[in-house]
Amino acid sequence: MLDRMLLADILDEALKKGGDFAEIYIEEKVSTSVYCEEDRIEKINSGRERGAGIRVLAGGRTSYVYTNDLSREGLLKAARVAGHAARSQQAETRSPISLHSKPAPEPVHYFRLPEEVLFDEKIAHVLAANQAARDLGPDIKQVTVAVGDNHKSVLIANSDGEIVEDDRVRVRFLVNVVAERNGVIQTGYESAGGVAGWELLEQISPVDMARKAGELAIKMLDARPAPVGRMPVVMSSEAGGTMVHEACGHGLEADLVQKGLSVYRNKLGEQVAAPLVTVIDDATIPGKFGYLRFDDEGTPGQRTVLIDQGRLVGYMYDRLTAKKDQVKSTGNGRRESYQHKPIPRMTNTLIAPGEDDPEEIIRSTSRGLLVKKMGGGQVNTTNGDFVFEVQEGYLIENGEIVAPVRGATLTGNGPEVLASIDRVGRDLGYAIGTCGKDGQGVPVADAQPTIRIKELTVGGTSHDSHPAYRIRRK
Amino acid sequence: MSRPLQERLTHIGEMLLDKAHHGGIDAEVFLLHNRELSIEVVEGQVDTLKEAEEIGLGLRVIKGNRLGFAFTSDLSPKALEEVWDAAVSICHYTAPDQYLSLPAGPAEYPSLEVYDPVISQTSIEEKIELARQAEKASRQYDPRITVIERAGYEDSEFHSLILNTRGIRAYAKGNYCGTYVFAVAEEDADAQTGFSISIKQKLADLDPLAVGTEAAHNAVRCLHARRAPSGKVPCIMEPYVATRFLGIIAQMVDAEAVQKGKSLFKGRMGHKVGAECLSLTDDGTYPGGVGSFPFDSEGVPCQRTELIQNGHLVGFLYDTYTANRDRTRSTGNGQRSSFRGLPSVGSTNFMIEPGVLSLNQLMDDITYGFYITEVMGMHTANPISGEFSVGAAGLLIEKGQLTKPVRGVTIAGNIVELLEQVEAVGSDLRFFGSRGAPSLRIRYLSLSGD
Repeated sequence: MLDRMLLADILDEALKKGGDFAEIYIEEKVSTSVYCEEDRIEKINSGRERGAGIRVLAGGRTSYVYTNDLSREGLLKAARVAGHAARSQQAETRSPISLHSKPAPEPVHYFRLPEEVLFDEKIAHVLAANQAARDLGPDIKQVTVAVGDNHKSVLIANSDGEIVEDDRVRVRFLVNVVAERNGVIQTGYESAGGVAGWELLEQISPVDMARKAGELAIKMLDARPAPVGRMPVVMSSEAGGTMVHEACGHGLEADLVQKGLSVYRNKLGEQVAAPLVTVIDDATIPGKFGYLRFDDEGTPGQRTVLIDQGRLVGYMYDRLTAKKDQVKSTGNGRRESYQHKPIPRMTNTLIAPGEDDPEEIIRSTSRGLLVKKMGGGQVNTTNGDFVFEVQEGYLIENGEIVAPVRGATLTGNGPEVLASIDRVGRDLGYAIGTCGKDGQGVPVADAQPTIRIKELTVGGTSHDSHPAYRIRRK
Repeated sequence: MSRPLQERLTHIGEMLLDKAHHGGIDAEVFLLHNRELSIEVVEGQVDTLKEAEEIGLGLRVIKGNRLGFAFTSDLSPKALEEVWDAAVSICHYTAPDQYLSLPAGPAEYPSLEVYDPVISQTSIEEKIELARQAEKASRQYDPRITVIERAGYEDSEFHSLILNTRGIRAYAKGNYCGTYVFAVAEEDADAQTGFSISIKQKLADLDPLAVGTEAAHNAVRCLHARRAPSGKVPCIMEPYVATRFLGIIAQMVDAEAVQKGKSLFKGRMGHKVGAECLSLTDDGTYPGGVGSFPFDSEGVPCQRTELIQNGHLVGFLYDTYTANRDRTRSTGNGQRSSFRGLPSVGSTNFMIEPGVLSLNQLMDDITYGFYITEVMGMHTANPISGEFSVGAAGLLIEKGQLTKPVRGVTIAGNIVELLEQVEAVGSDLRFFGSRGAPSLRIRYLSLSGD
């Protein structure tokens, strides 16, 4: 992308007025998307973008400047602005920076790069998925299928002399189906994606995704309103890991912990969850949507145990927060693009599988809610309260799945919920998503086995209509 | 400074339009130059200072009733060739559509005050001071304010140029600024957050002390919150919470959603869709509004559009395409968030019109109810089915007074029902960004707690 001499000059310029650390992050991104709605290819988008972000750390301060002017003059100017903002009184003369590559994890081999796959092929997959959902019958009123791919080439160099280059390719399919009958409208949604080229289609089938989304939308037309109140909740592994992401993931990001904004601060070494619960953030799982060869500061992605059999053993760090706690970065420094400074973020976050038979967990639940598919969620890390949506839920009575329910939302408190997990299955299921924090979205995956939570607040709409399903708190 | 920039953008745009004229292709060039400053302070010290500059181009072409689009941040002659080729070649794959067209010019644009020179003339040091004042006001409000999660100042300046082969030539610059505080209150091992944000078109209208004080107030009032019993209860939504619901309502009055059968307002034009006291307006010319601009992202003049009047549905929001489809005129709501995408229907300054009652009058005769100050997971509400079930926090209303704080409950229902259940609207219209609402009194909402 740029030669090392120029990069070194830029970093030297950034530290001219003082500062402890300078970094340049350069990104070139080629992306396309195909969007089908109303039974036709409605939009295709193709874009090319490049830009650089320059960061200077001085004491506790961060200054960050980005530009998409990648000329020598443009970058030196950006470095000057960043350096000026971070200037300190005692600017010492420092020796010029020289950049050297360090040992790196194996590069990912992409077999079919997005720019090598013709629109004809992308469109064929999209149309096939659209058709599969529409073939489910007259209840299907609208089908949206989208595929997006991007190829990012990233270069990161810093004043410690490190330089890293990385090629990142992601492909992602989304299907949203609207079903309607007698004025009742319900939707079904499926998404799948990974760090891979178009060879991803050997693992995922857009047609199957479309059928699944359509069948769910139709099934939910007949669902009864969700019950309300406190009750046991079984979360199937198919549901993915939104719960672990919200209930504890965010609270274990070191920036929130250090600012005093996490219920998990000052709890290292303490029991924060039931002994059955082990939580891991693992950037190294090949192909998963949150896979990282390097994070966005050039630290290799790694596997970090956060909660070990219920005991809090680690947080997720980027470079800045690691320095504050005098530990090493765990490779969780991520950013949405060159327009953002890196902050601690999750990658692939999971509750490790246990030993129970998933079927038996349901059979042994006398009454409660089974969650087969989770939607989006949100957490207030300061008090640990979280909420997430149930896209596909069923009532359990006497160990049997009796009826689908719709419109349920689960609210809980992270530490309380983790402590009340009483069953952990031996299966494991993934879901993907875009996680938002501080205005930055990054691709993540979450996973969990089938688990049971003794009691959670289920919010729904069926107050008066189904009093029988109200479960009182002990 | 802006003159040469306008000339440079125009030059690039004209080059692409020339190509279009030669090829007999309809084309639109959208060029955006954007500059941003954000300052975050922690304990009076600058924690993060970010300065950004971005330029980019989105090219929309229509060839044989087929749509093509490509974007680039690289404005070199070679990159412009590539973006042209990409957009035109995409027309080969998209479905033909007779309703595609670019708006025709020349257009007359309203003259609006959307650029405040004071923002660009004010030094960074003075802006840091504004953020400091907001943070300090928050800390001084109450000794239980222990942490300021973030306090900051931000501003943004943008130059927008739109040229098309049908005679649209629109250029304008705008800016706005804002300050915010997220505060944490702690007492007896309980920690709660509160925030306040103010975004203004003029720097002189920013009030950092009020922002800091309000964030602290909002945090402290939540301390020792507990769950409340489940039930159907009368509710009052703070303006902020009401604006969160406006996000869903905006999708329901979006002509594209209506045409695609994704809005519950489909086929309801002229019908009663809400309580008598409810009126909803979109106004791209609203004085001082953060969403005000002379033209939308297609170069169509912005205007005021009534959507719901005294509970009756009277209008939808249109861009050029959806207007063609309904054989009507664009309402100037073709929006895009950046040069990276096609325009689509979006709101400008979107608001529920205020009434005459004060908050006390709204609350006066509620013996037991819930005053909602925060909703969580609003993005999970379904604008298509209208169903929502979201986490909520707030205060109990007992005998017309705000009493105990509540958290960890959910409120659920259907947005259509909610609009009918609005009993009264307050006089306290307040904007959060480009969405504004007064306090709303809701006859009943389904609350789920203990």
